[in-house]
Amino acid sequence: MSATTSIPHAALRVSPGEVKPPRAVRRPGARRAARREGMFGYAMIALSMLFVTVFTFIPILASLGLSFFHWDVISPPTWAGLENYQRFFTDGPVLQSFGVTTVMAIAIVALQLSLGLFLAVLVNQRTSTFGRTFFRTAFYLPLLASTAAVAIFMGYLFDAKFGAINYYLGLLGMSDVPWLTSPFGAQVTIVLIVVWQQVGFTFVLFVSALMAVPTDVLEASSIDGAGPLRTLFRIKIPLISPTILFAAVIAFINAMQLFDQPFIMTKGGPGTATTTATISMYQTGFQNLQFGYSSAIAIILLLVILAITGIQFLASRKLVFYQ
Amino acid sequence: MAREFGPVMGRRDLLRLGGYGLASAALLGMGAGLTGCAPSGGGSSTGTLTMLYFGDQKSATTLQNALQPKVKKIDKDLSLKVSAINGKDWNDFLAKVLTLIASGQAPDIVSVATEGLQLMVGKKLITPLDSYVTKDMSTLKSSYFNDIHPALIEAMMVDGHLYNMPDSFNAGSMFYNSDVLQKAGAPAPAAGWTMDEFHSTAEKISKLGGDILPFDWVVRLWGSWTSFLYANNGNLIEEGKYGGGDWLWSKAYEAGDKSIAGRQGGWKWGAPTANSDAAVEALQYVIDLQKAGYSPSPDVGGGGTLQGLFSSGRIGMTIGGGFWAGGLHNAGMKDGSFEVQAFPTWKSNKSLFGTGGYSIFESSKKKDAAWEVIKMMIEAETFDIMFPGNITTTGRKSLMTAERYASTGPKNWQVFYDQLDGSVPISAPSYYNALATSLNQRTTEAISSGNAKAALDAMQSDLEKVAKGS
Repeated sequence: MSATTSIPHAALRVSPGEVKPPRAVRRPGARRAARREGMFGYAMIALSMLFVTVFTFIPILASLGLSFFHWDVISPPTWAGLENYQRFFTDGPVLQSFGVTTVMAIAIVALQLSLGLFLAVLVNQRTSTFGRTFFRTAFYLPLLASTAAVAIFMGYLFDAKFGAINYYLGLLGMSDVPWLTSPFGAQVTIVLIVVWQQVGFTFVLFVSALMAVPTDVLEASSIDGAGPLRTLFRIKIPLISPTILFAAVIAFINAMQLFDQPFIMTKGGPGTATTTATISMYQTGFQNLQFGYSSAIAIILLLVILAITGIQFLASRKLVFYQ
Repeated sequence: MAREFGPVMGRRDLLRLGGYGLASAALLGMGAGLTGCAPSGGGSSTGTLTMLYFGDQKSATTLQNALQPKVKKIDKDLSLKVSAINGKDWNDFLAKVLTLIASGQAPDIVSVATEGLQLMVGKKLITPLDSYVTKDMSTLKSSYFNDIHPALIEAMMVDGHLYNMPDSFNAGSMFYNSDVLQKAGAPAPAAGWTMDEFHSTAEKISKLGGDILPFDWVVRLWGSWTSFLYANNGNLIEEGKYGGGDWLWSKAYEAGDKSIAGRQGGWKWGAPTANSDAAVEALQYVIDLQKAGYSPSPDVGGGGTLQGLFSSGRIGMTIGGGFWAGGLHNAGMKDGSFEVQAFPTWKSNKSLFGTGGYSIFESSKKKDAAWEVIKMMIEAETFDIMFPGNITTTGRKSLMTAERYASTGPKNWQVFYDQLDGSVPISAPSYYNALATSLNQRTTEAISSGNAKAALDAMQSDLEKVAKGS
């Protein structure tokens, strides 16, 4: 294949026999400048890399190492091999905590995404720029509050006997609802509180994504006679599907690590109804002093989260539309 | 012009080097973490003794400043650093102490309560004080042992050795809101009152209606439904005692002292008895109280919510110890608005208590100095520095005076100390933490299902498993 056919641009054509132009003469000191620039780049990310290494990678590797030992914090660790991992698959309460976590996480993600999208579409369609800013701030505010503080406060609100919610329900003639004292009630209440606090994040993402949908596409669909619902499901949602995927992945990762709300509000109860995988980890490690086994649970949880995230990305190949 | 710009180090090279660095750092980190698990004598090489304190740092600093002159009197080159550990209960405190030890920051002195004693002894974290006590027996006998209830001393012994010098305790008594009882037309509980009388009082209070409930409690080992269990002559674990201890009882107390009759080498907890008839009956009783609308669903762990409800007049009766006198006073209750009586008698008048004091870490390099500081901390005049405002009950009989409770109440303060006779410490074996976790889970399970037997069968199974492995 000749140069002329492979490089169509006329200016780059080189006639046969023509002397190849010499490479540009390098400016003296250019290599040094490039090196300096390279070093500057590394220096810029060095702090982040150090932070991630010290506070993320090393603890993960240390946990991985520890998961092969028996360690009660006090005595020297002893080699356990795969015993901690084998134990996991026969440990009913811990397996149950993974089940509880998965069910609650699915509920949280489904509610968080659908409610976030619903609110974002509503705000995007019906409000002015001021309104959008107002609602964006209003829905995002709960996310800024301390999770622990919110959990304590909600614990009082949802108290079966002395909580404000049952008080007002009582004024309407309703009997006390066991929000946190029945297994199903506690699970639902915690899911609702997590969704209330987290929905602002997905809401803000969706509002931004909806604003970025090209107006010419929307105008074209309108001219073609598409109604609001058809526009939403056929135009807007496909166009913002990468954002939905991102929100779903982040929400699921967070939900699988659910700890604060059930730990503070129900201590994992009643019974083990809200004992999530992370609470199991905490109890195994910090209360029962089985840090090796606790680390094995942590590593398995990490793998579960990675697997679910992988499945989400695989599913996205068919469901997510990239422009 | 083609631009010659590229990193001086290739991406692959960087990743490779980064990988080596990460692996080395991880190995070093793991090595440090694993070697750090062996307790080390932290804070002992600079003339500073470190003590872990259950409370907030502000109170710890106040305590440290208050104790410093006394420490200087012991040795002018010695100083004391009091480090606070916040927690809602002793269980929480203990978990954090263990984490601190894991990070290689073992202190010299640590506050230990009944909950953590056998666990710490089992792990050889604290040292026996026998030789120190024997050395100073002549002064300790008159200044300490003759003033401290022997039940507290025995509760701090394991296998015949004394591991802790207790200075405080809390026995599970019954507090009641005087106004609520008066409104309900219920007489104030008299000494020796029974469970039937307790139930009758609850019935009367329930008739008040509104948002006033007769009784409330907290899910935990101390002063929970376990108080009913003890009164029902049961326990979660078989009660027993270690032999030995004569070295102490024969020298620290007068021969023939009735209060040391039957005292031995500490409490030895045997097989779990969590699903005994007594336990099922006791737990079912409190569940039925709730079903009847006599009590709300209890909190798990700390008693903050309960204190708020009681002090605002929405709860008629609850289980509390001497620490409630200070707690209720600080919550705004006036002297006379609440009172206390010993826990009602059921099948027995056995009640429970927990005690707290000071131990020396096995790893401490300054054990002798630590002992001198502990002796100072358990002196009668130091008690109010350690625990200002009746936030716990003094273990010294000489300090149990009307004057002490004049500003906070209750008037029936003698109950706290008197209840120690015939009482048993909370059952805290070396696997206490696992026991506490199971107790919380199974109790809330029983409350939500209404079936005490099924939940306690599960608890029995939990405890048998953990006892087998301990």
